[in-house]
Amino acid sequence: MTERQIEQADIGALADIDQVIHARTRLTVLAHLYVVESADFVFLKNMTGLTWGNLSSHLSKLEDAGYVATDKGFRGKKPHTMIRLTDRGRTAFREYKQKMLQVLDDLPD
Amino acid sequence: MSQHISLKDVERKVFTSAFEDGLWDIFIALVFLAWAFAPVLTPSLGDFWSSAVLFGSWPFVFLALWLVRRYVVTPRVGTVQFGSWRKTRLLRFNVVMLVFLSFSAILGMVLALGTAALPAWMHAAPFSLVVLIAFSVAAYFLDFSRLYVYGVLFALSPLVGRWLYLYREIPHSGYPVTFGISATIAFLVGLAKFISFLRTHPLDAQEPPSQGAYGD
Repeated sequence: MTERQIEQADIGALADIDQVIHARTRLTVLAHLYVVESADFVFLKNMTGLTWGNLSSHLSKLEDAGYVATDKGFRGKKPHTMIRLTDRGRTAFREYKQKMLQVLDDLPD
Repeated sequence: MSQHISLKDVERKVFTSAFEDGLWDIFIALVFLAWAFAPVLTPSLGDFWSSAVLFGSWPFVFLALWLVRRYVVTPRVGTVQFGSWRKTRLLRFNVVMLVFLSFSAILGMVLALGTAALPAWMHAAPFSLVVLIAFSVAAYFLDFSRLYVYGVLFALSPLVGRWLYLYREIPHSGYPVTFGISATIAFLVGLAKFISFLRTHPLDAQEPPSQGAYGD
Protein backbone atom coordinates (compact mmCIF):
# COMPACT_ATOMS: atom_id res chain seq x y z
CA MET A 1 0.00 0.00 0.00
CA THR A 2 1.42 3.38 -0.99
CA GLU A 3 1.46 6.30 1.39
CA ARG A 4 -1.28 8.02 -0.62
CA GLN A 5 -3.48 4.90 -0.56
CA ILE A 6 -3.06 4.67 3.20
CA GLU A 7 -3.97 8.33 3.56
CA GLN A 8 -7.09 7.92 1.41
CA ALA A 9 -8.12 4.79 3.29
CA ASP A 10 -7.74 6.62 6.62
CA ILE A 11 -9.72 9.62 5.45
CA GLY A 12 -12.48 7.35 4.12
CA ALA A 13 -12.71 5.44 7.39
CA LEU A 14 -12.57 8.59 9.49
CA ALA A 15 -15.32 10.20 7.45
CA ASP A 16 -17.63 7.46 8.72
CA ILE A 17 -16.94 8.37 12.33
CA ASP A 18 -19.89 10.00 14.07
CA GLN A 19 -18.72 13.58 14.62
CA VAL A 20 -21.35 14.26 17.28
CA ILE A 21 -19.72 11.60 19.46
CA HIS A 22 -16.15 12.13 18.33
CA ALA A 23 -15.71 15.48 20.12
CA ARG A 24 -13.67 14.68 23.23
CA THR A 25 -16.01 16.37 25.71
CA ARG A 26 -19.13 14.71 24.32
CA LEU A 27 -17.30 11.40 24.21
CA THR A 28 -16.57 11.75 27.93
CA VAL A 29 -20.19 12.60 28.71
CA LEU A 30 -21.46 9.70 26.61
CA ALA A 31 -18.97 7.27 28.17
CA HIS A 32 -20.31 8.15 31.61
CA LEU A 33 -23.93 7.81 30.48
CA TYR A 34 -23.14 4.55 28.66
CA VAL A 35 -22.09 2.76 31.87
CA VAL A 36 -25.10 3.85 33.95
CA GLU A 37 -28.86 3.74 33.55
CA SER A 38 -29.30 7.45 34.23
CA ALA A 39 -27.66 10.28 36.14
CA ASP A 40 -28.53 13.82 37.07
CA PHE A 41 -26.74 16.98 36.00
CA VAL A 42 -24.79 17.37 39.27
CA PHE A 43 -23.44 13.82 39.04
CA LEU A 44 -22.36 14.24 35.41
CA LYS A 45 -20.72 17.55 36.21
CA ASN A 46 -18.70 15.98 39.05
CA MET A 47 -17.69 12.94 37.04
CA THR A 48 -16.67 14.77 33.87
CA GLY A 49 -15.16 17.84 35.50
CA LEU A 50 -16.98 20.14 33.07
CA THR A 51 -18.50 23.49 33.89
CA TRP A 52 -22.26 23.94 34.04
CA GLY A 53 -22.37 25.87 30.78
CA ASN A 54 -20.10 23.48 28.92
CA LEU A 55 -21.99 20.40 30.06
CA SER A 56 -25.34 21.98 29.32
CA SER A 57 -24.32 22.96 25.80
CA HIS A 58 -22.93 19.51 24.97
CA LEU A 59 -26.00 17.79 26.41
CA SER A 60 -28.17 20.00 24.21
CA LYS A 61 -26.22 18.87 21.15
CA LEU A 62 -26.53 15.24 22.18
CA GLU A 63 -30.25 15.69 22.78
CA ASP A 64 -30.66 17.31 19.36
CA ALA A 65 -28.98 14.26 17.84
CA GLY A 66 -31.42 12.04 19.73
CA TYR A 67 -28.66 10.41 21.76
CA VAL A 68 -29.78 11.51 25.23
CA ALA A 69 -33.17 12.04 26.80
CA THR A 70 -34.28 13.70 30.01
CA ASP A 71 -36.75 12.46 32.60
CA LYS A 72 -38.13 15.40 34.50
CA GLY A 73 -39.54 14.97 37.97
CA PHE A 74 -39.51 16.49 41.42
CA ARG A 75 -37.41 15.87 44.49
CA GLY A 76 -39.43 17.34 47.29
CA LYS A 77 -40.57 20.66 45.88
CA LYS A 78 -37.56 21.12 43.61
CA PRO A 79 -37.56 20.05 39.98
CA HIS A 80 -35.06 17.29 39.29
CA THR A 81 -33.87 16.06 35.91
CA MET A 82 -32.36 12.66 35.20
CA ILE A 83 -30.43 12.24 31.96
CA ARG A 84 -30.09 8.93 30.15
CA LEU A 85 -28.77 7.54 26.91
CA THR A 86 -31.54 6.70 24.43
CA ASP A 87 -31.51 3.36 22.57
CA ARG A 88 -30.33 5.29 19.54
CA GLY A 89 -27.54 6.90 21.54
CA ARG A 90 -26.47 3.56 22.99
CA THR A 91 -26.37 1.99 19.52
CA ALA A 92 -24.49 4.99 18.08
CA PHE A 93 -21.92 4.84 20.88
CA ARG A 94 -21.42 1.10 20.35
CA GLU A 95 -21.00 1.62 16.60
CA TYR A 96 -18.58 4.49 17.21
CA LYS A 97 -16.50 2.24 19.46
CA GLN A 98 -16.39 -0.51 16.82
CA LYS A 99 -15.53 1.92 14.02
CA MET A 100 -12.74 3.51 16.00
CA LEU A 101 -11.27 0.11 16.74
CA GLN A 102 -11.55 -0.76 13.06
CA VAL A 103 -9.91 2.50 11.94
CA LEU A 104 -7.03 2.03 14.34
CA ASP A 105 -6.74 -1.65 13.43
CA ASP A 106 -6.51 -0.81 9.72
CA LEU A 107 -3.59 1.57 10.24
CA PRO A 108 -0.23 0.14 9.26
CA ASP A 109 2.36 -0.39 12.06
CA MET B 1 -9.45 15.55 31.38
CA SER B 2 -7.73 12.33 30.43
CA GLN B 3 -7.29 11.53 26.74
CA HIS B 4 -7.70 7.84 27.50
CA ILE B 5 -11.19 6.55 28.20
CA SER B 6 -11.64 3.04 29.56
CA LEU B 7 -15.31 2.18 29.99
CA LYS B 8 -14.48 -0.31 32.74
CA ASP B 9 -12.56 2.36 34.63
CA VAL B 10 -15.34 4.89 34.09
CA GLU B 11 -17.92 2.42 35.42
CA ARG B 12 -15.74 1.58 38.43
CA LYS B 13 -15.11 5.28 39.10
CA VAL B 14 -18.84 5.99 38.96
CA PHE B 15 -19.66 3.16 41.37
CA THR B 16 -16.81 3.66 43.84
CA SER B 17 -17.61 7.37 44.08
CA ALA B 18 -20.32 6.19 46.48
CA PHE B 19 -17.60 5.23 49.00
CA GLU B 20 -15.61 8.45 48.78
CA ASP B 21 -17.68 10.41 51.29
CA GLY B 22 -16.37 8.35 54.25
CA LEU B 23 -19.83 7.49 55.60
CA TRP B 24 -19.31 3.74 55.17
CA ASP B 25 -16.03 3.98 57.11
CA ILE B 26 -17.81 5.83 59.92
CA PHE B 27 -20.58 3.22 59.91
CA ILE B 28 -18.01 0.41 60.22
CA ALA B 29 -16.30 2.36 63.02
CA LEU B 30 -19.62 2.41 64.88
CA VAL B 31 -19.97 -1.36 64.42
CA PHE B 32 -16.49 -1.80 65.93
CA LEU B 33 -17.47 0.56 68.74
CA ALA B 34 -20.53 -1.55 69.53
CA TRP B 35 -18.27 -4.59 69.83
CA ALA B 36 -15.92 -2.60 72.09
CA PHE B 37 -18.74 -1.53 74.42
CA ALA B 38 -20.78 -4.75 74.49
CA PRO B 39 -18.64 -6.59 77.09
CA VAL B 40 -18.45 -3.43 79.23
CA LEU B 41 -22.22 -2.93 79.28
CA THR B 42 -23.23 -6.55 79.82
CA PRO B 43 -21.93 -6.98 83.42
CA SER B 44 -23.54 -3.72 84.59
CA LEU B 45 -26.81 -3.80 82.61
CA GLY B 46 -27.33 -7.50 82.11
CA ASP B 47 -27.78 -9.34 78.82
CA PHE B 48 -31.23 -7.98 78.01
CA TRP B 49 -30.62 -4.27 78.64
CA SER B 50 -27.14 -4.21 77.15
CA SER B 51 -28.55 -5.78 73.97
CA ALA B 52 -31.46 -3.34 74.08
CA VAL B 53 -29.11 -0.36 74.33
CA LEU B 54 -26.80 -1.60 71.57
CA PHE B 55 -29.49 -2.72 69.12
CA GLY B 56 -31.82 0.13 70.07
CA SER B 57 -29.21 2.69 69.12
CA TRP B 58 -28.89 1.41 65.54
CA PRO B 59 -32.08 3.03 64.20
CA PHE B 60 -30.66 6.39 65.34
CA VAL B 61 -27.31 5.63 63.69
CA PHE B 62 -29.05 4.72 60.42
CA LEU B 63 -31.25 7.81 60.65
CA ALA B 64 -28.24 10.08 61.26
CA LEU B 65 -26.28 8.59 58.35
CA TRP B 66 -29.34 8.78 56.09
CA LEU B 67 -29.85 12.45 56.96
CA VAL B 68 -26.19 13.26 56.26
CA ARG B 69 -26.38 11.42 52.93
CA ARG B 70 -29.69 13.07 52.00
CA TYR B 71 -28.86 16.66 52.95
CA VAL B 72 -25.06 16.86 52.75
CA VAL B 73 -23.77 14.24 50.32
CA THR B 74 -26.43 13.94 47.61
CA PRO B 75 -26.70 17.68 46.86
CA ARG B 76 -22.92 17.64 46.29
CA VAL B 77 -22.51 14.45 44.24
CA GLY B 78 -25.85 14.21 42.51
CA THR B 79 -27.86 11.10 41.77
CA VAL B 80 -27.08 8.07 39.62
CA GLN B 81 -28.85 4.84 38.77
CA PHE B 82 -26.32 2.15 38.03
CA GLY B 83 -26.30 0.14 34.84
CA SER B 84 -27.44 -3.45 34.39
CA TRP B 85 -23.88 -4.85 34.68
CA ARG B 86 -23.46 -3.34 38.15
CA LYS B 87 -26.97 -4.35 39.23
CA THR B 88 -26.26 -7.95 38.23
CA ARG B 89 -22.95 -7.84 40.11
CA LEU B 90 -24.70 -6.52 43.24
CA LEU B 91 -27.35 -9.22 42.97
CA ARG B 92 -24.62 -11.85 42.63
CA PHE B 93 -22.89 -10.34 45.70
CA ASN B 94 -26.10 -10.58 47.75
CA VAL B 95 -26.62 -14.21 46.75
CA VAL B 96 -22.99 -15.15 47.48
CA MET B 97 -23.13 -13.44 50.90
CA LEU B 98 -26.46 -15.06 51.79
CA VAL B 99 -25.18 -18.52 50.89
CA PHE B 100 -21.82 -17.96 52.58
CA LEU B 101 -23.27 -16.58 55.83
CA SER B 102 -25.91 -19.33 56.03
CA PHE B 103 -23.22 -21.94 55.45
CA SER B 104 -20.94 -20.22 58.00
CA ALA B 105 -23.65 -20.15 60.64
CA ILE B 106 -24.03 -23.92 60.37
CA LEU B 107 -20.29 -24.58 60.04
CA GLY B 108 -19.60 -22.14 62.90
CA MET B 109 -21.69 -24.23 65.29
CA VAL B 110 -19.81 -27.38 64.27
CA LEU B 111 -16.41 -25.69 64.46
CA ALA B 112 -17.22 -24.13 67.82
CA LEU B 113 -17.41 -27.61 69.24
CA GLY B 114 -13.91 -28.31 67.92
CA THR B 115 -12.28 -25.15 69.22
CA ALA B 116 -11.72 -26.75 72.61
CA ALA B 117 -8.65 -28.36 71.06
CA LEU B 118 -7.24 -24.94 70.12
CA PRO B 119 -5.29 -22.66 72.48
CA ALA B 120 -7.70 -20.53 74.53
CA TRP B 121 -6.84 -17.29 72.74
CA MET B 122 -7.75 -18.88 69.39
CA HIS B 123 -11.32 -19.82 70.34
CA ALA B 124 -12.59 -16.95 68.24
CA ALA B 125 -10.68 -18.21 65.17
CA PRO B 126 -13.73 -19.61 63.30
CA PHE B 127 -15.58 -16.32 63.80
CA SER B 128 -12.52 -14.35 62.63
CA LEU B 129 -12.22 -16.52 59.54
CA VAL B 130 -15.88 -15.98 58.62
CA VAL B 131 -15.54 -12.22 59.14
CA LEU B 132 -12.36 -12.08 57.07
CA ILE B 133 -13.93 -13.98 54.17
CA ALA B 134 -17.18 -11.95 54.34
CA PHE B 135 -15.33 -8.62 54.25
CA SER B 136 -13.04 -9.83 51.46
CA VAL B 137 -16.00 -10.98 49.36
CA ALA B 138 -17.68 -7.61 49.94
CA ALA B 139 -14.48 -5.73 49.05
CA TYR B 140 -14.14 -7.71 45.82
CA PHE B 141 -17.73 -7.36 44.63
CA LEU B 142 -18.08 -3.73 45.69
CA ASP B 143 -14.64 -2.63 44.42
CA PHE B 144 -14.20 -1.15 47.91
CA SER B 145 -10.58 -2.00 48.77
CA ARG B 146 -10.61 -0.50 52.30
CA LEU B 147 -12.96 -3.33 53.32
CA TYR B 148 -10.00 -5.75 53.09
CA VAL B 149 -8.27 -3.73 55.83
CA TYR B 150 -11.43 -3.51 57.95
CA GLY B 151 -11.89 -7.26 57.51
CA VAL B 152 -8.38 -7.87 58.88
CA LEU B 153 -9.02 -5.48 61.79
CA PHE B 154 -12.37 -7.15 62.56
CA ALA B 155 -10.82 -10.62 62.35
CA LEU B 156 -7.82 -9.78 64.52
CA SER B 157 -9.71 -7.85 67.22
CA PRO B 158 -11.29 -10.83 69.03
CA LEU B 159 -8.13 -12.96 68.70
CA VAL B 160 -5.78 -10.27 70.01
CA GLY B 161 -8.36 -9.23 72.60
CA ARG B 162 -8.60 -12.73 73.93
CA TRP B 163 -4.81 -13.00 74.02
CA LEU B 164 -4.59 -9.70 75.95
CA TYR B 165 -7.21 -10.97 78.40
CA LEU B 166 -5.42 -14.27 79.00
CA TYR B 167 -1.83 -13.11 79.08
CA ARG B 168 -1.99 -9.40 80.00
CA GLU B 169 -5.13 -9.49 82.16
CA ILE B 170 -6.91 -6.81 80.18
CA PRO B 171 -10.58 -6.94 81.29
CA HIS B 172 -13.66 -7.61 79.14
CA SER B 173 -11.80 -10.04 76.86
CA GLY B 174 -9.64 -7.14 75.73
CA TYR B 175 -12.44 -6.05 73.37
CA PRO B 176 -12.56 -2.40 74.51
CA VAL B 177 -8.86 -2.13 73.56
CA THR B 178 -8.76 -4.07 70.29
CA PHE B 179 -12.16 -3.06 68.91
CA GLY B 180 -11.59 0.44 70.28
CA ILE B 181 -8.38 0.75 68.25
CA SER B 182 -10.13 -0.67 65.15
CA ALA B 183 -13.02 1.77 65.64
CA THR B 184 -10.60 4.69 65.98
CA ILE B 185 -8.75 3.75 62.78
CA ALA B 186 -11.97 3.35 60.77
CA PHE B 187 -13.44 6.55 62.23
CA LEU B 188 -10.33 8.61 61.46
CA VAL B 189 -10.25 7.29 57.88
CA GLY B 190 -13.95 8.07 57.53
CA LEU B 191 -13.58 11.52 59.02
CA ALA B 192 -10.60 12.34 56.77
CA LYS B 193 -12.54 11.10 53.74
CA PHE B 194 -15.61 13.12 54.75
CA ILE B 195 -13.62 16.33 55.23
CA SER B 196 -11.80 15.77 51.94
CA PHE B 197 -15.17 15.12 50.28
CA LEU B 198 -16.62 18.39 51.62
CA ARG B 199 -13.58 20.27 50.36
CA THR B 200 -13.62 18.76 46.89
CA HIS B 201 -17.39 19.02 46.50
CA PRO B 202 -18.34 22.49 47.69
CA LEU B 203 -22.05 23.22 47.66
CA ASP B 204 -21.63 26.82 46.53
CA ALA B 205 -20.06 25.60 43.28
CA GLN B 206 -23.44 24.31 42.26
CA GLU B 207 -25.01 26.99 40.16
CA PRO B 208 -27.23 25.29 37.64
CA PRO B 209 -27.20 26.86 34.18
CA SER B 210 -29.49 29.85 34.05
CA GLN B 211 -30.82 28.70 30.71
CA GLY B 212 -31.22 25.38 29.00
CA ALA B 213 -33.15 22.26 29.75
CA TYR B 214 -30.80 20.71 32.28
CA GLY B 215 -30.88 23.02 35.25
CA ASP B 216 -32.46 21.61 38.35
